[in-house]
Amino acid sequence: MTVSAPAGADPLVSAAGDRPRRAWIGWLALPAVLALVCLGLWLYVGSQPLDSIEARSLNASTISEAVVRHVQLTAVSTVLVVGLAVPLGILLTRPFTRRFRGALLTVANIGQAVPTIGVLALLAVAFLFLGFWSAVVGLVLYAVLPVLRNTMVGLEQVDPTVLEAGRGMGLSTGQVLRRLELPLAVPVILAGVRTALVINVGTATLAAYINGGGLGTLIVAGFSTNRFLVSLTGAVLTAVLALFVDHLAGVAEDVLRPKGL
Amino acid sequence: MTAPGGPPGCERVPCSGIVGADQRRRSPPVGSEAPTRGATTLDFVDFVWDRRDDVLQRGIEHIGVVAVSVALSAVLGVLLGVLSYRSPTARTAAIAVTGAFLTIPSFALFVLLLGIVGLGTTPVVIALTMYGLLPVVRNTVTGLLSVDPAVVESAQGMGLSRWQRLRRIELPLAWPIVLTGIRVSTVILVGIAAIGAVVNGPGYGNLIFTGLARVGAPVAVDLVLTGIVGVVVVAVLFDAVFTLLGKLTTSKGLR
Repeated sequence: MTVSAPAGADPLVSAAGDRPRRAWIGWLALPAVLALVCLGLWLYVGSQPLDSIEARSLNASTISEAVVRHVQLTAVSTVLVVGLAVPLGILLTRPFTRRFRGALLTVANIGQAVPTIGVLALLAVAFLFLGFWSAVVGLVLYAVLPVLRNTMVGLEQVDPTVLEAGRGMGLSTGQVLRRLELPLAVPVILAGVRTALVINVGTATLAAYINGGGLGTLIVAGFSTNRFLVSLTGAVLTAVLALFVDHLAGVAEDVLRPKGL
Repeated sequence: MTAPGGPPGCERVPCSGIVGADQRRRSPPVGSEAPTRGATTLDFVDFVWDRRDDVLQRGIEHIGVVAVSVALSAVLGVLLGVLSYRSPTARTAAIAVTGAFLTIPSFALFVLLLGIVGLGTTPVVIALTMYGLLPVVRNTVTGLLSVDPAVVESAQGMGLSRWQRLRRIELPLAWPIVLTGIRVSTVILVGIAAIGAVVNGPGYGNLIFTGLARVGAPVAVDLVLTGIVGVVVVAVLFDAVFTLLGKLTTSKGLR
């Protein structure tokens, strides 16, 4: 790993646990702002005269279909990412994999430098793999790394004396993992999942280029028909959705954090 | 305009004929498996070599736009960090706002900026600067807070003013962590800069999007691969520069 900062300040690992739990009123502030932005966009688009091309994209059914597709892309890929990266992270922190871990992390760090659009474009042009599932594969490939890294860091930062104590109490290796290591690593793992979620919401916008659907289709359609209003609507809705998803993940982090941490 | 082609998918149909034709042209003699692979690798090398001027030009553009944006977000980020680290409210706000920037998908932000500043390099530099802020601000705050208060106090005892303490004691001590933040920003920005091609920005993204618009044509794979490899090479180059910069700029006592 190229990071030399102390573990607590490791900037490649999403920060977790240094935020106080927010009051419920704090949870409502951002959604209120986002709702206002949506209202403003609706009023603005409503005040513009739409020609037939714009009307074809800017109607309730097209937009809601794009939003639903975008959420599906994000949800499916994030579930797959967590299902892959957390077990892999657990495996890679067990003693028997210690030998090749460094090499693997180096490869993973270089892999992170590949741009998201590059992963999606390569799936499309090299394997002629287009559509919803192609986009999901691209999103998963790209978002696996941050969750993997956070899982590993989360497990490694658990105080070894706690594990020793667990073993001294007669817990088996599996029990130590399930009842001590994993619960103690949950905040860091959740921060990684949140990062993956944010990456996926953003990258799903690019799925439009490989027929994956989502809000990116509005932006691309606006470009190709020279209707900026359509692109603008797509961009604002994408930004609102991303901020909202990140906000929900933040609330989930607060709620799911094991008590006592 | 190299950026977005037609609506997604419409490229496939007209291109399908080309695929067949080209596979026929390229197909190796029967029963030679190994040479096939060698030939495609060589094809790719030939492809890059034939276009070396263009590839180099795109690389310089890519490095340039990232370097300018990193410099801007480093200056702004350190400034924000220095101004906010003493108050918990201010630093939480600074990190929350710059974090929100990073949450906005790049494709959307480029388009939003396109509406304000138009096409070209300007929206790319603005967007990249916004994306680069969070790691710098977060690490500046972390770095400054990690400075031992006793050291600062003894500097104060020696009669150093607030500005002198910051410039001669706190910032040099926090610098390795700040530099790590700038380095992380750079890695993020090198990747995001590729998407800047949608608003006619510079760099390797143009090769990727041109390739994407030609799905099915054999040149598409070469174009996309060149773009990806180019981006990775730029990232590795920047990383090497930062390793050097870290050695040159870290205070002697910290090494």
